Amino acid sequence: MSMRAQKPSFLEATDLVFCWSISAVAATAILLLAGCAGSNVQLRNPTIPEPLIDQLPLKVAARYPEAFDHFVHEEKVIGKEKWSIDLGESNKLLFTHLFGSMFTDFSVIDTSTDARDLDIDALIEPSIDAFEFSVPKQSQTDEFAVWIRYRIKIFDKEGVQIANWPIAAYGKSLSGTFGGDAALQRAAVLAMRDAAALIILQMDKSSGISKLSNARLQQQQDMAQPSADPDNLQSTATEEQHDESH
Amino acid sequence: MSHIRKTAIRRALVITVAGTMLGGCVTQRIENARVNSTGLAKGEGVVILAKSYHLGNDTEAKFVACVGNSVGKGSQGLRVIPNDEFVDALFPWFEPRTAPAETKNLPKLMSRPGVAETIKEKGVRYVIWLDGDTNKVAGGGSMSCAAGPGGGGCFGFAWWQKDSNYVASIWDLNGLENAGTVTADVSGTSFMPAIVLPIPLIARTQSKACNALAKQLKSFIVADDKA
Repeated sequence: MSMRAQKPSFLEATDLVFCWSISAVAATAILLLAGCAGSNVQLRNPTIPEPLIDQLPLKVAARYPEAFDHFVHEEKVIGKEKWSIDLGESNKLLFTHLFGSMFTDFSVIDTSTDARDLDIDALIEPSIDAFEFSVPKQSQTDEFAVWIRYRIKIFDKEGVQIANWPIAAYGKSLSGTFGGDAALQRAAVLAMRDAAALIILQMDKSSGISKLSNARLQQQQDMAQPSADPDNLQSTATEEQHDESH
Repeated sequence: MSHIRKTAIRRALVITVAGTMLGGCVTQRIENARVNSTGLAKGEGVVILAKSYHLGNDTEAKFVACVGNSVGKGSQGLRVIPNDEFVDALFPWFEPRTAPAETKNLPKLMSRPGVAETIKEKGVRYVIWLDGDTNKVAGGGSMSCAAGPGGGGCFGFAWWQKDSNYVASIWDLNGLENAGTVTADVSGTSFMPAIVLPIPLIARTQSKACNALAKQLKSFIVADDKA
């Protein structure tokens, strides 16, 4: 093979330079875009396992705000990156699953239904007060963190508010382990699980909701007592005697 | 591409791979402190969890996964229950907010509905809590790189030191007591000289800590069985 054959021709050399230039420009563009673009993260059907708890013997209904149908939160990071997280119906799924596990009888009602017309012990209205997240650039760490502040209002069957309970939940995930989008999703799911754990742990202590169960039992006993009244027993016995005489 | 360029790239790749394989300097110290006797019966296993970040712990998920894989492998490999599976099955009692911080909380935890039964069903004898992280503690040197249409290259020298400090606390769920702790402190300095091509000589402290901790954990848990 001659030396001439080993050297690239003028056309090949030009192509090579052109390819290098294009590659350099493309790499720079990708780096710049990656630095400024941020991300749009979607969370669908978060995994909230079945909790290991004893159910409270209560008839409970929940009413969700419109934000629970489609919740989107956006943050601009240092004026450059724009990150958004779309939780979709995740909050609705979380609370439906959670309350369904916590109470023996649970249903979801819409905004047009008057809860006082229903045979329930309590109405729960959860809402989101605040949602925040931080990305590694903000915290100068490898972590994505999510904070959710829920508010839970509980009403008795007469419509009287018995609790107005703020819940601060937190979740974090390392970007190196799951990658940017997945890490933010993971942090959001962990925050939701944190809220669920907190609600399970402190619901009764913070709201006294189990007293409604006691009130129901007391009411049932009160209703049962008149039938145990001696006068009523007498009349029943009289009727029975009367029947027997026939 | 010319033959000379191909050869140069091949040489550079060989040097880079060799440099990466050689690695930097690493020193390690592994210690254990036994509080109670240990051992595993047939069907029993361990679960490896990171201590809660609510307690300020930053153990990396990949380190937890690495220890889990390493403890489960080899001739003395233990039965390792996947941590996600365990945490989900016991929801919400091993969430970062609710997980027991001390062994004195175990009796209350076990008295909760379904908890003792689920732990028995999963065959979990020991919970191993990992605490600690890997940090860059020092670094220096300088390196500059440039690229143009005709090619690119780097020149300079950089170094950095990383410390991986981890503690594994072993809780016996049979006796509801602390069985002991195993600590791994690994320190390493990485170097990167560059003459046209940077040659990384990486000290893999986290990987070393993972393997050493896993080896010691296996020995710690089955040691009494052997005796």
